[in-house]
Amino acid sequence: MSTYVRIRVGAERYAIPVGHVVEVCDLDPAGIVPVPGARPEVLGVRNLRGLVLPVVDLAAVLRVPRAAPPGGLLVAESGGARAGLAIDRVVGVEEMGEPSERCDSPLLAGAILSDGQLTGVIDVPRVFGALEAEGS
Amino acid sequence: MSEAAPDLSQIFRDEAAERLDAMDRALLACESGQPGGEVVEELFRHAHTIKGTAGLVGRDDVSSFAHEVEDVLDGIRQRGEFPREVASLLLDAVSALRALVTGSAAPSAELRRRLGEAAGQVRGAPRGASPAAEQPGGPGGAGAAGGAAAAGAAGGPGAAASRVLRVPAAKIDHLLDVVAEVVQFRHRLAHSAESGIGADSPLADDLRAGERMLDELRDTAVAMRMLPVATITGPLPRAVRDMARQAGKEAELVMAGTGTEMDRVVLESLSEPIAHLLRNAVTHGIETPEERQRAGKPRRGRVELRAAPRGSSAEIVVADDGRGVAPEVIQEAGRSGSLVDLLTRPGYSTAGEVTGASGRGVGLNAVRAQVNALGGSMEIRSWPGRGTEVALLLPLALSLLEVLLFERSGAVYGVPQASVQEVVAIREPMHLQGRPMLAVHGHPVPLADIADLLGVRAPRLQENAPALVIRSGDRRVAVSCDVLAGQQEVAVKPLGRFLGGTTGYLGSAVLGDGRIALLLEPKTLATGIGRAPGPRADAPADLPRAEPPPAAGAEAAAPRERPAILVVEDSFTVRELQRSILESAGYPVATARDGQDALEVLRRDPRVGLVVTDVEMPVLDGLSMLRAIRADPDRASLPVVVVTAHASDEERRQGVEAGADAYLAKGSFDQQALLAIVARLLGR
Ligand SMILES: Nc1ncnc2c1ncn2[C@@H]1O[C@H](COP(=O)(O)OP(=O)(O)OP(=O)(O)O)[C@@H](O)[C@H]1O
Ligand SMILES: [Mg+2]
Repeated sequence: MSTYVRIRVGAERYAIPVGHVVEVCDLDPAGIVPVPGARPEVLGVRNLRGLVLPVVDLAAVLRVPRAAPPGGLLVAESGGARAGLAIDRVVGVEEMGEPSERCDSPLLAGAILSDGQLTGVIDVPRVFGALEAEGS
Repeated sequence: MSEAAPDLSQIFRDEAAERLDAMDRALLACESGQPGGEVVEELFRHAHTIKGTAGLVGRDDVSSFAHEVEDVLDGIRQRGEFPREVASLLLDAVSALRALVTGSAAPSAELRRRLGEAAGQVRGAPRGASPAAEQPGGPGGAGAAGGAAAAGAAGGPGAAASRVLRVPAAKIDHLLDVVAEVVQFRHRLAHSAESGIGADSPLADDLRAGERMLDELRDTAVAMRMLPVATITGPLPRAVRDMARQAGKEAELVMAGTGTEMDRVVLESLSEPIAHLLRNAVTHGIETPEERQRAGKPRRGRVELRAAPRGSSAEIVVADDGRGVAPEVIQEAGRSGSLVDLLTRPGYSTAGEVTGASGRGVGLNAVRAQVNALGGSMEIRSWPGRGTEVALLLPLALSLLEVLLFERSGAVYGVPQASVQEVVAIREPMHLQGRPMLAVHGHPVPLADIADLLGVRAPRLQENAPALVIRSGDRRVAVSCDVLAGQQEVAVKPLGRFLGGTTGYLGSAVLGDGRIALLLEPKTLATGIGRAPGPRADAPADLPRAEPPPAAGAEAAAPRERPAILVVEDSFTVRELQRSILESAGYPVATARDGQDALEVLRRDPRVGLVVTDVEMPVLDGLSMLRAIRADPDRASLPVVVVTAHASDEERRQGVEAGADAYLAKGSFDQQALLAIVARLLGR
């Protein structure tokens, strides 16, 4: 069993290992400064207690269709880098089993199927890697 | 005002602090049992010099307490033996002396009593043929006098090393400002001369030589901000010893590479993080002496602080030979990322209970945030049972940049001040191949809206919108925006890896009000304008047109009627900004770079009908100048607008008392507000 932060992205369910989660807060769209010329997934940068934090639309990264604008921000960390992931909302923090279901996405560590619901487990280092690679 | 006389008591405090640090180091060495005769001499000299200097600056309290300390040391000196318990008593005395010097506390009666006792004790038991035999002399008397001669000859701490001049940081900052201004001024000079002289005339040669020297001057000035790491490590060995004691442990701090130089600003913000890492090393790392003995380690734990330059960065390592983190922790770290990620997680702590020193689990998180904010990075390595090492990699110099800020459609942008040649109000743009051009000092310069250059949507620009004439290499462009937002020195923060592929940015900066400014690369702006898409179909309508006839008519008649405005401001860019705003509104403008200069101008130039002034300026500040104006019967009713960086209530009160007619906040500096106030005060 490991601890995950469960989130909603569009209509889909995802989970992030708690070790990669720094904090969770409201998105505050007014505080996000768009950076003209940046890749489309990047919504901009915002000031997080003096730190300039890039904000990435997780739905765009995962190619999840989205009906409403994102409302929450999850600050994730890996390998010394931080990014704010714009999500729909946080569902809760929970102990869950290992992601036993395989899936093809390079951005997911796998999936968990329980109570008839499918939850994708996000591989934060890979997501960060993907954002970096295509950027340059 | 406070600059007028060199502050002797401040100098005394600084110097005493240095000597007290040196005494701490020497006493720590004594405590660990290796006091050479010269160590005692050194201690004596420091105590003696503090006593003497304190007397000079009128700190008799310090002087008399230092005398008591000196008395004990003198006894030890003569006896030739240093009892260990006296070393620890003297460490307490040094702490008390430090508190007394800073004025935070007076030494306790108990401490004074113990010092007196110790003095009696070391004097009372001379052993055999001690040095005292050669120099008899009653208690205190001749011995102290002999010491005075020795101290006089020895000079201050580090007298043998290179000579060092103590200069207040503010003066160096001011020097840097002036140098930056001179560099700018030269740019302008070169520009105006360019058209008049050929590139190979002797005058052009001279100008180039001047440029080289100016560059050198600037580099030298910038290097003055660099300080050795030792400037912040003085009190640390003592602090480590005290922390260990409190925890029932033994630990010594070994330092290396403290001569490594770093930017003063970076260093200042490192004190706290380093102190925390040391605290962690002592509380979590170092074991109790018994535990260490069982593990086959020396009883006394060893904590290291190492600094070393690494290219354009400096590495600072805090290492301990303690127990390291538990093997489970290393495993968990392997699963969830890295050890830094795990240990810096907010709330992560293995301390069983919260004590004064540790246990809340926020310490490392704060250290990391601070290091990140400085543009650095952090790594942690740990070997269970053997110790832990925390490495900080920091920029040698903080990249501080003087930028000119401007806004367009709600977003804030900045460009390096050095690249901005001037600021103009757009009037009557011309067109070439459908592209708008602006005449600047008789030469056409391509003009573009910053929104178009960046490809963002924005409402159309107002008439008379300001444009920044930006220079990069031999290209010049005029970039128009909604409003100028002032000039500021900012710490450049990289946009980060995820924006690595985005070109055209120098980075970003967090402004005083929390907003983020994107810092634009002058080169991209200058070349981008060439490849910018042709003007949109509606572009000509988008651009400000010539003034409507009534305004133009007023303008033609105005210059002779309108009173001149005197702009008093020490920053070149802000001054030029205000000048261009006021001039484009049709006012003749005179400028002055400080209050003194302004009073001169007022004496010479009777046309001045209004003054716009900054508050903080060298030589004579704005409020003092204002008082001088109010005191002059001829000028007493001259309207004065005060532009201030932070209009606190107290400042306003002072300003009103001095006779200010209006206030304008510099942070939100906007030209419409300035023009409105000026118009109102001039009764138009
Ligand atoms: N030098 C060290 N040796 C061994 N473990 C360490 C060392 N430094 C830190 N740690 C581990 O990292 C954890 C987190 O440290 P951190 O400074 O963030 O919190 P803390 O010291 O427990 O509490 P506080 O917030 O009061 O400082 C510690 O609880 C400890 O387990
Ligand atoms: Mg701690």
